[in-house]
Amino acid sequence: MAKEIIVALAGNPNSGKTTVFNNLTGARQHVGNWPGVTVEKKEGSCNYKGYSIKVVDLPGVYSLTAYSPDEVVARNFIVEEKPDAVVDIVDASSLERNLYLAVQLLEMGARLIVALNMMDEADSRNYRIDVEGLSHLLGAPVVPMVANRNRGTEELLEEIIKVAEKEVEVKELVISYGQEVEEEIARLERLISQDGELSSKYSPRWLAVKLLEGDEEIVKKFKDVKAG
Amino acid sequence: MNQLIPLAMVIPGEMVQVVDVRAGWGLRRKLADMGLTPGVIIRVMNSQMPGPIVIDLRGSRLVLGYGMTQKILVKRV
Repeated sequence: MAKEIIVALAGNPNSGKTTVFNNLTGARQHVGNWPGVTVEKKEGSCNYKGYSIKVVDLPGVYSLTAYSPDEVVARNFIVEEKPDAVVDIVDASSLERNLYLAVQLLEMGARLIVALNMMDEADSRNYRIDVEGLSHLLGAPVVPMVANRNRGTEELLEEIIKVAEKEVEVKELVISYGQEVEEEIARLERLISQDGELSSKYSPRWLAVKLLEGDEEIVKKFKDVKAG
Repeated sequence: MNQLIPLAMVIPGEMVQVVDVRAGWGLRRKLADMGLTPGVIIRVMNSQMPGPIVIDLRGSRLVLGYGMTQKILVKRV
């Protein structure tokens, strides 16, 4: 039996998630040149080097708060289903905005691969992106791509397998929010860790940060929890 | 000279710095998610009062409804 790998495709709206999805799976999902084409998650699969890879195309989001149904769909899948790899498709010509989501994914402890899409667009704007430097700073693999010309697909598949097989380490990013906030995070983390069910499902630090943010979806999860 | 004005009043071509978003938690957060944070310098690309405003934000274009642009306070740079 082929070994199964589950991969989620995340990224900002209109960054090329569905194009990458179609390249990987050979599907013909509708691709539009405007944001918000994918509202629900879509699934497809492909076989590569003896692996059966299930690919899940998530709705495009700027962030992983719980604002809108598409953000909740994307976030819940990553947090609750814990895919073997998460590919964040990033528009290389608009790197600064796109990397915000990448950082949030790393903070959640996702096994992240950054697909630097639209490299041709970035080139035409004379952007020179230090791919290795970026990978080093993020602590995650970075794959340059031009998805609409099907460039970089093989390289992405290789990285997906490496990350899923834990041949490459993806570091969980810890951002320091300053002493005052860190003290509160530490207090909440201790309380959350006492709840076996929650802490086995979610990273206690991530939950603590979200609670301090006042994230409604996360606050709801704590309604029935009795803190010690 | 450095007085705060709503983004709605900025004419196309002008560069301004975002100082504050006077709105509820939801809108402030949403705009911040897209990179519209206090301190960022933006350029108004198109504006048709009282219609949507197109801005250049960190290398990408963002269209904002007129109502939103009244809540975004900026200063000229």
